[in-house]
Amino acid sequence: MLTITSLQASVEGKEILKGINLTIGKGEIHAIMGPNGSGKSTLASVLAGREDYDVTGGTVTFQGADLLEMSPENRAREGVFLAFQYPVEIPGVSNTNFLKAAVNEVRKHRGQEPMEPKAFLTMMREKMALVEMDQAMVSRSVNEGFSGGEKKRNEIFQMAMLEPKLSILDETDSGLDIDALKIVANGVNKLRSKETSTIVITHYQRLLDYIVPDFVHVLYKGRIVKSGGKELALELEAKGYDWIKDLAQEEVTA
Amino acid sequence: MSEVLNLQEKLVKEFALVEGALNGQAKTPVHAIRKQAMKRFAELGFPTIRHEEWKYTNIMPVVKNDYVLAPQSSTTLTKADIEPFLMPDVKANVLVFVNGAYAANLSTIISTKNVEILPLVEAFTKKTVIVEQHFAQIAAWQNDAMLALNTAFALNGAYIEIAKGAVVEEPFHLLFVNDSRAQSTFAPARNLIVVGANAEATIVESAHTLATGENVGFTNVVSEVVLADNARLHHYKIQNDVEQSHFIGALYAHQEATSVLNTVVVTLSGGIVRNNLSAVLAGKGADTHFYGLYLVNGKTLVDNHTLADHAVAHCTSNELYKGIMDDRSTGVFNGKIMVRADAQKTLAYQSNRNILMSPHATVNTKPQLEIFADDVKCSHGCTAGQLDDESVFYLRARGLDKEQAQALLLYAFAGEITEKIGLEPLRERLETIIAERLHQELV
Ligand SMILES: Nc1ncnc2c1ncn2[C@@H]1O[C@H](COP(=O)(O)OP(=O)(O)OP(=O)(O)O)[C@@H](O)[C@H]1O
Ligand SMILES: [Mg+2]
Repeated sequence: MLTITSLQASVEGKEILKGINLTIGKGEIHAIMGPNGSGKSTLASVLAGREDYDVTGGTVTFQGADLLEMSPENRAREGVFLAFQYPVEIPGVSNTNFLKAAVNEVRKHRGQEPMEPKAFLTMMREKMALVEMDQAMVSRSVNEGFSGGEKKRNEIFQMAMLEPKLSILDETDSGLDIDALKIVANGVNKLRSKETSTIVITHYQRLLDYIVPDFVHVLYKGRIVKSGGKELALELEAKGYDWIKDLAQEEVTA
Repeated sequence: MSEVLNLQEKLVKEFALVEGALNGQAKTPVHAIRKQAMKRFAELGFPTIRHEEWKYTNIMPVVKNDYVLAPQSSTTLTKADIEPFLMPDVKANVLVFVNGAYAANLSTIISTKNVEILPLVEAFTKKTVIVEQHFAQIAAWQNDAMLALNTAFALNGAYIEIAKGAVVEEPFHLLFVNDSRAQSTFAPARNLIVVGANAEATIVESAHTLATGENVGFTNVVSEVVLADNARLHHYKIQNDVEQSHFIGALYAHQEATSVLNTVVVTLSGGIVRNNLSAVLAGKGADTHFYGLYLVNGKTLVDNHTLADHAVAHCTSNELYKGIMDDRSTGVFNGKIMVRADAQKTLAYQSNRNILMSPHATVNTKPQLEIFADDVKCSHGCTAGQLDDESVFYLRARGLDKEQAQALLLYAFAGEITEKIGLEPLRERLETIIAERLHQELV
């Protein structure tokens, strides 16, 4: 699905990603953890195509194609979805209109006709039920005045509508209350298939209790310094990051 | 410069001619004012960028042309010619003025009860008392050359009087056609609108130019508006004229206690467009709303000068102007809030927000606050910049291309103004035009 090789990226001249290697197979869930400022969101942004970041080295192949060559919209249309850590508020643009435009763009890209209004509404209702969003929220402007948790839930609602192949969830758990976390995680699990892959960026084991990862990676200072199975997350929860930092230090000095 | 003097001299001469043809009216107080105004215009001359009020708007390209003063002869235009300028699906009183002159054959009057609708020149004789009370009293022309000029030539235009307590459902569409097909034409017009106590009305004003070849139309529409106690007036000015047109116009309102004025000015195209808007809040609890949208491209220049003049206590003014400028277009906004010493407990808000879509587009925005009372709440702010990158990226990350994302954001930005238009079909029409302009299919 996705192969990242020696990926380096910088912002405003400052190098943030210092050679990331990561391979994600079809149907897999990968968790990325790591201390604040280690570059997790940067990696997610680079994959989604944010233009503020300069890719200074490496390659990213998505379903056999060069992802870095694609515009952000083409990545989305090809099936890359980023659930933002900080979703923006867009006053005046209704969720419904925006989603209709987005869904139809994806369909156009696949050579499909735009959706009939009725079919679209049916789909909306179905996906709303999945993440337990109410109509009032969907009718409002995109994220405008939404609480932190509502914004995160709206991200997953959008994901459900767009049916991506690769979903990158950047701290989707932060801001969600305990019940909302279950609902959102449930939604994500229901949307999964053997054909889709997920990258879950999180600081806490809690989310991984529901969305159980196949692999866990620790990102530290722009590098993946440790990878393992789901038990690595539990180990991090128990021990913190100091031992990882020491590990990384040893690697650099060695 | 000499061409400018030419036009000025030409207008002075024209005035003498028009005056000569006035007969009986020549001795009325209204005429005395017009004569003084002409004298004043001749002294002041057309404003230049050396005048503080015209600093960013050079009208030399407007006044250098060789115009004829609107001929009074009846028009050859037909209803079919003006059809594109009408509001579809609206039952409205349509008053059409061609080169200033009232065209009865093109107009449709449907409201008959509680309203008095007359060409201004007829009102001078039929409505002398009201006219003499208000005409040229609300719009202070003494130190404003353009207004003095308009006052001098004030014959054409509409007189609308809404009776006390009448709520007139059908809007009044004042439609000014500048027919410059044969020759570049200067078409001044003057309206006097009197809304009685507890009455309510909606007025739509639009100007349209027909020009061929090198010809340019220059339209100058000034309205004086009086709102009696608790009166409500909704005034929508729609400017979507051709490139070969210039518009300099104004609305001056006088508001008595608890009256409400809602104005929305939407400018979508034209040559040089200047709108003055001023409301004097003269009665306790009066409320005024100024909304404006300018969405322009090419070389259009649009200049909005506003004044909310709080003369007494407990009044509110609320102002929001938004601009989107592309290509080499220019936006000018000058918003003045005056709070006089007696105007305690004033609430006055003002905001001007601009988006520049091209490196060659410019905007000059200036708030002016003059506050002489101490117990007031005033705020103002202006911004000029590009569309928010974060928002554009967010939309692109969901599959919209850059143009679509921008269009959606701009449409939303403009929507905050168009939604203030209470006349549904007009609002929808404008939103469709805006969506088309932004190359966006949004329904
Ligand atoms: N636009 C930017 N300009 C300057 N520095 C930036 C920019 N974006 C990110 N950085 C820096 O890059 C580093 C990595 O940031 P990033 O947001 O990727 O961290 P993160 O791992 O997601 O952290 P967190 O866990 O707090 O979300 C930080 O030091 C951050 O300050
Ligand atoms: Mg982050």
